[in-house]
Amino acid sequence: MSDQQTGGHQRIFVWDLPTRIFHWLLVASYAGAWLTFDDNRYLYEHTFAGYTFFGLLSFRLLWGMVGSRHARFRAFAYDWPSVSAYLRALLTGKAARHAGHNPAGSWAIFLMIGLGFVVSIAGLFTLGGEEQHGPFKGVMAFAAGTNIKEIHESAAWLLLALTILHVIGVIAESFLHRENLVLAMVTGYKFGSKGEAADSPYANIAVIMILTVAGSGFFYFKGYLNAAPDKPYIPFQGPLLPDNATWREECGECHLAYHPTLLPARSWQKLMADQAEHFGDDLALDEATTLEITAFLVKNAAESRLSEPAWKISSTTPPDQTPLRITDTPYWKKKHKGIPETIWKLPKVKDKGNCGACHLDAEQGTFEDSGMRLPKAIQ
Amino acid sequence: MKIHILSIALCAAMSAHIAAADVVDNLLNTYQAAGAKDFSAGNGDDLWHQSHADPEQAGKTRSCVTCHGKDLRAKGKHVRTGKVIDPMAPSVNKERLTDAKFIEKWFKRNCKWVVGRECTPQEKGDLLSYLRKQ
Repeated sequence: MSDQQTGGHQRIFVWDLPTRIFHWLLVASYAGAWLTFDDNRYLYEHTFAGYTFFGLLSFRLLWGMVGSRHARFRAFAYDWPSVSAYLRALLTGKAARHAGHNPAGSWAIFLMIGLGFVVSIAGLFTLGGEEQHGPFKGVMAFAAGTNIKEIHESAAWLLLALTILHVIGVIAESFLHRENLVLAMVTGYKFGSKGEAADSPYANIAVIMILTVAGSGFFYFKGYLNAAPDKPYIPFQGPLLPDNATWREECGECHLAYHPTLLPARSWQKLMADQAEHFGDDLALDEATTLEITAFLVKNAAESRLSEPAWKISSTTPPDQTPLRITDTPYWKKKHKGIPETIWKLPKVKDKGNCGACHLDAEQGTFEDSGMRLPKAIQ
Repeated sequence: MKIHILSIALCAAMSAHIAAADVVDNLLNTYQAAGAKDFSAGNGDDLWHQSHADPEQAGKTRSCVTCHGKDLRAKGKHVRTGKVIDPMAPSVNKERLTDAKFIEKWFKRNCKWVVGRECTPQEKGDLLSYLRKQ
């Protein structure tokens, strides 16, 4: 093999420090987002991963214009003929070495950055719409938020597919050119000719990046520092829902005063009409009390869409069904199906209607994603 | 101004205490007017602890103790929901036996659940006579 083909045997500096820090922090935040997306309890952590991911991508846009030699977009802005030529060469095992990104890799990178922005921005709107949190809180209704979530999720899966292609490409090229490209993204050095080397490591900018991420992490999570077992920290506070002293007093005597937003109006009407046979008890409420509580329940029922559970319960309960227990609604069943029987049988849980055993904000009725804690099995 | 509010609060607190005795006496009078004879705290004690067959679970029984617990001075626990119930004894819980409407509501609710029917004026008077001494 000639010197031209192997790219020379000199170790040259290619990836500046900010590019490498960007790459690995992006990997970390990306992995963090995937690890926390499925379990609603980690919404706050998932959101931090998202903010970090978004911030890093924004930095990369800037760095693509002002960064060092191989970090600049212009350095790897290949047209399609170069990409297809490279891919064809790859199949025959004769693909040329590139000090920076190769043509196929560069396209994967541009696509990943673009999709990354789609995922992050759709995520921010999902947070604002479906959860009513974050910078876009209140700009759209729950329903719109749920639609945007589809985009957020589809883009995330596409991005995952691209990421896998990217990793396969890196491995393939590492074998092809007998050079560990993963290690190169750690050390910054690759083999090449002297003329291809990058100029500066930009260590100062890398330090600022790390400090920014660490500092924002500290401020983001510092609420947990003051948390105690009896005073847990709920990062996302839900909306202040309507309250009524008579409702809270009367319904709260035997069980949690279930907020009106948790059942459709027709369910509350039936429950109050049948108060003489309330799950085996005669409530014996006088007429004035019954009227006041019924009015409060109906006015703020799930149809009011005052909270995320209200919107979900009102939109997923079939109109011909009148569930008398919150635990009979399709939404409740869907959200609780993964909980093992052992948890339900714990003395401190005891009953499926004991929402407060896991939901720290059950009294307020907000049922925020991040307000959930499964009790420890052994206590 | 402050003294004024304070004295109103004090009067209200005192009248609540006087009312506590009045509330029970008034209820006992109402029960006697409805045909009840002299009330007995001993009978109330028996009623409180009497077990009745549970119509929903064969072999199980219900009594007042099921939820209020064995010690009236301690907190009880709702047998189904697990909700904590404040102590029944007026000596440790000043709010007990101070609201006639509240008492009647719970008599109706709990007599139906425990005994399977509403309590008679005699039974209610006996229970109140027992509870006010705790």
